[in-house]
Amino acid sequence: MSRRILTVDDSPSMRMLLRAALTEQGFTVFEAEDGVDALEKFEAATPDLVITDINMPRMDGFGLIEALRSGDIQAGLPILVLTTEASDEKKARARSAGATGWIVKPFDREKLGAAIRRVLH
Amino acid sequence: MSLMSPIAPPVCRLTVAQGDSIASGDPDVIFTTVLGSCVAVCLHDGRAGIGGMNHFLLAEPAPIANEEVRLLNRYGVHSMELLINAMLKRGAMRRNLKARIYGGATMRQGLGEIGTTNIQFARRFLINESIAILGENVGGTSARRIEFRPAAGLSRCKTVSSQPVEDTIKISPASGGDVELF
Repeated sequence: MSRRILTVDDSPSMRMLLRAALTEQGFTVFEAEDGVDALEKFEAATPDLVITDINMPRMDGFGLIEALRSGDIQAGLPILVLTTEASDEKKARARSAGATGWIVKPFDREKLGAAIRRVLH
Repeated sequence: MSLMSPIAPPVCRLTVAQGDSIASGDPDVIFTTVLGSCVAVCLHDGRAGIGGMNHFLLAEPAPIANEEVRLLNRYGVHSMELLINAMLKRGAMRRNLKARIYGGATMRQGLGEIGTTNIQFARRFLINESIAILGENVGGTSARRIEFRPAAGLSRCKTVSSQPVEDTIKISPASGGDVELF
């Protein structure tokens, strides 16, 4: 069965690139444009994994991770941050909020796929 | 009583090199760059008085056969995202952004498609992101010198005879893609 991934990014171009890269590797992709949109679409998408940007309007990636981790049902959900940010401070903040991993853009299709498969098993 | 004329602050010229994405709201700053096959996108938020410029060369072949994403080079998307993020951090709003595109010339044999690919990418990205393109000065066979005043959003494009030093073929930045699992 195809694993379900919710991608969260305010750039339609980035979402399009991610969709292409992930569907090519056999994943089913759902998209949201920021944290608020992701929470609204979460139930319908019922993802096995979330990939989120950090800098987004309305609710950023940190807020989304905290919101997802605040629900008991999402305790084990892998959340990968995919961002242009490379600062240790932001990485530590994401980690303490409950992120599973940190990937710096521009993403490498194979490395991203390998990271996803690793955290899904 | 002495009459003193106001002293204008010195203009600060910042060169935008290949791979750079910078933004400013300082009225005394001018961004400059020289483009051959490379493309520079100038973005401006007129309400916030914030402008930004990047400078990229996409030499990576498109690995994805899907027509929908064929023109969306990941390094190009990355360069544009860095530019937009730099502007948003200074107070610009995504919905207020307007763009101008420069560069993408065919500078010599063997580089024919690269300038065109860079132009097509920039147009495609801006359309995807619903960012209005106010104008462009692209293509041709001459290098261009661009000056952009980010606070005012004023840009000037002049063709130049010299070959830009940065316009050598090199694959876009190899950084990024690093994965760290916690």
